[in-house]
Amino acid sequence: MIEQQPSVPAAPETKGRSMISALVLTVGPLLLLAGVIVAFLNTSAGLGFSLPVPVEKLDFEHVQVVPDGFRLTVRNAGQDPVTIAQVAVDDAYWHATIEPSPTLARLGQAAVIINYPWVEGDAHRIDLLTASGLKFEAVVPVAFESPRPTAQSLWGYTLIGIFVGIIPVFLGLMWFPALRKLNRTWLNFLLSLTMGLLIFLGVDATSEALELSAQVPGPFQGIGLVTIGGVVTFLLLETITQRQTRARRSEAAGRLTLAYMIALGIGLHNLGEGLAIGAAYVVGEASLGTFLVVGFIIQNITEGLAIIAPVLRDRPGFKHLILMGMLGGAPAILGAWIGGFSYSPVAATLFLAIGAGAVFEVAYEIARLMRADKLLASPLVNLGGITAGLLLMYITGIFVK
Amino acid sequence: MFINKAMSRRGFLKGTIGGAATLAGLQMLRFRRVAAQSGDEDPPGGMAHAGPMDGSPGQVGFQMQEDDPHDPAKILTDFDTGQVSTLPDGRTLREYEIIAYDREVEVAKGVTFPAWTYNGRVPGPTIRCTEGDVIRVKFTNASVMPHTIHFHGIHPANMDGVFEVIQLGEMFTYEFEAQPFGLHLYHCHVMPLKRHIHKGLYGAFIIDPKAGRPPARELIMVMNGFDTDLDGENEFYTVNGKAFYFQDYPISLKVGELVRVYLVNMTEFDPINSFHLHAEMFYYYPAGTSLAPAEYNDNIMLCQGQRGILEFTYRTPGRYMFHAHQSEFAELGWMGFFDVTE
Repeated sequence: MIEQQPSVPAAPETKGRSMISALVLTVGPLLLLAGVIVAFLNTSAGLGFSLPVPVEKLDFEHVQVVPDGFRLTVRNAGQDPVTIAQVAVDDAYWHATIEPSPTLARLGQAAVIINYPWVEGDAHRIDLLTASGLKFEAVVPVAFESPRPTAQSLWGYTLIGIFVGIIPVFLGLMWFPALRKLNRTWLNFLLSLTMGLLIFLGVDATSEALELSAQVPGPFQGIGLVTIGGVVTFLLLETITQRQTRARRSEAAGRLTLAYMIALGIGLHNLGEGLAIGAAYVVGEASLGTFLVVGFIIQNITEGLAIIAPVLRDRPGFKHLILMGMLGGAPAILGAWIGGFSYSPVAATLFLAIGAGAVFEVAYEIARLMRADKLLASPLVNLGGITAGLLLMYITGIFVK
Repeated sequence: MFINKAMSRRGFLKGTIGGAATLAGLQMLRFRRVAAQSGDEDPPGGMAHAGPMDGSPGQVGFQMQEDDPHDPAKILTDFDTGQVSTLPDGRTLREYEIIAYDREVEVAKGVTFPAWTYNGRVPGPTIRCTEGDVIRVKFTNASVMPHTIHFHGIHPANMDGVFEVIQLGEMFTYEFEAQPFGLHLYHCHVMPLKRHIHKGLYGAFIIDPKAGRPPARELIMVMNGFDTDLDGENEFYTVNGKAFYFQDYPISLKVGELVRVYLVNMTEFDPINSFHLHAEMFYYYPAGTSLAPAEYNDNIMLCQGQRGILEFTYRTPGRYMFHAHQSEFAELGWMGFFDVTE
C-alpha cells in the first residue's frame, strides 16, 4: 500500500507566485507559436511556397430553376478571394447578376441570377468563369421549375413527411395491444430486434453522412461534421437519459423514458430521411415517389415497433403513445421542408450524422435497459432478435434502394 | 450528356470532385435518375430574349489601361510599315522590331489569360510592306520559353524561323525580300507548336501589290481563341483578342465606302473558323494573292493559317452584325457590329 503524502498548504505568496508561473508556462508556448507563425509567414522559412496559377474553388450549394432563368448559390471554398467574371449557359456567355458581389471572399457566398429561356425537360449546363479563366460547372439535369415555398408546395412536402414519417410510425404503434400479450422471452426478442433495427439505421445513416460529406466545401470539413454530429448527439442523449433515469423512481418510468428516447432518436433519424427525400423532389426525382413512399412506409413501420418495445409491460396511456409517435414521425416533415426549400450539403451531412448518433445511442440504451431490468437476456434470444432486426431492415430496404 | 473533360492541370488545381456539386443530395438518395417529365404545363416563358445582345456579358467592364497594346480597336487599324530607308541597290528597306514576352492579357470582360505575346498583344503587330521591299525584323526573345518567328510567304530556308530557336535574352534578325503580294501571317514555330500558338504568338503579315489596291477603309481582323483553363478547349473566341469587344464598341463605317477586311484565322484546337457578314455580300480574295476575286459570298470558312481579303460596301445606314457562323463561337465571343452611317 502506498501512503498518501499529506499535502502541505502553500503560503499565500507562494500560491500567488505559482499562479503566475503557471500562467507564464501556459501562455508562453502560445506566444512562441504566434512568433513562429509570423516568422514563417514573413520569410516562408525558405520553402518558397508560391503557385504560378491561383488555386480557386467554387462550390455550388444550390441550383434553382426559376420561371425566368436560373438562380445559383455559390461559395468560395478556396484559400483566396475569387471573382466571377463571366457566366455561360450551354456554351454561350450570358448576362447575369451576382449578389452581393462577383468577388467572393474566402468562404464567401453569392447568388448568381441568370435570365435565361430554359427549355422544359432539357438539360442545361452553367459555367462560371473566374477572373483567371478557371471554369466551374453546374448541371441542371432536367429543367423544370424548382419548387418554391408556396402554400401548395409546403403542403406537398408536409404530405411527404406525413407519409414517410408519421403514418408508418403510428402504424407500428398500433401493434401495441397485440404485443402486450407476449411473454418475457418474446419481449426480450422484440427488444433485441429493435436494437437490430436501430443498428442498421445507424450504420445506414453514417454511410450516407460520410458519402455526402464529400460534397461539403473543403473548409467545412465534412468528415469533421459527421464526427461531431454523431459523437456529440450520442453523448448528449446519454446524459439526458441518465439524468431522467436518476430522477425517476420506478422502473416503469425508466422504461417510458427509454421509449421516449427511442422516439427522439428515430425522430432525429427521420429528419435526415425527410431531408433526403425533400432534396430529391427538388432535383426531379419525384416520379419515383409513389414507389419510394410505399417503401418507406414498410421500412418505417418497424420504427413504431421500436418505440413501443420497452413499454409493452406497462400502461403508458394513449397520450404518451401519440406523443411518442409524433416525436418519432413528425421530424420527417421538418426534414422534407428543409430538403425541399433550402438544401445544403453541410446541413444534410450534419443532420444525417445527428440521426446516426441518436439511433446508436438508443440502441445502447436498450442494451442497458435489458441488463438493468434483468430481463432474461439469453444470448441466443439476443442473437436471434438482433439478426431478425437487421434482416427486417435489409429486406424492407429492398423497397427503397 | 456532357462529356467529361480530360484531367487538366488547372482542373487538377481546382480539386473539385466532378463538377456538379449541385446534385449534392442525389448521391445519398436511394433513387435513380428519372426521365424528364413531359410538360403540358405552361412553357417557362413570357420572357424577352435576355441574351448577350445588348452589350456583351460580364460582371465588370473591360479592364484595359490607356496604353495597353492589347487593344482590339487599335489592332484593327494598326498597320506597322516599319522604319523605311532605301538600300544602295535602290530597293526599299523596312525595319521592324518584335519582342516576345509573357504577360497577362485581358481576353474578355474581367478575364485574364497568361499569354505569350509579340509586343505585348495577341495578335502581334501587323507587319505591312510592299512586294519587293526588303524587310528586316529584329526579333528579341524576352520570354522564358524559346521562340521564333516563322513567316508565311517566300524566303530562304535560314529565314524560316524553324531551326534557329531563339532563347531568352537572345536576338535574331529575319531578313528577306517580301513576296508574293497578298495577305500572309507569321507565328512562332517552336515545339510544342500547338502551345506556342494558342498562347498567343502569331500576327498578320501584309504584302501590298506594287501598284497598290483601290483606296478603302482597311481593317485587320485576326480570328483566334483562348483556352483560359488550359483544358485543350477554347473558352473564348475573338477577333483581335477580346471576346465581344466589337459588340460593345461597334466599328463605324460609311455608306458607300469600300471596306477591306484582312482576315486571318489563327484559332487553335478547333479545325475551322468562319466569318459571316450580315445584310451585305463581299468579294473574297483567298490569301490576297490575286487581284481578281474568287468568290462573292456572305460567309467564308477558314482553316488555321488560312487567310483572305474581303471587300464590301454597305448601301444603307444601320447596325449590322458580323460573327463566326459557328453559332457556338459567336456566343463564346466572336461577334461584333458595324455601325454604318451616311
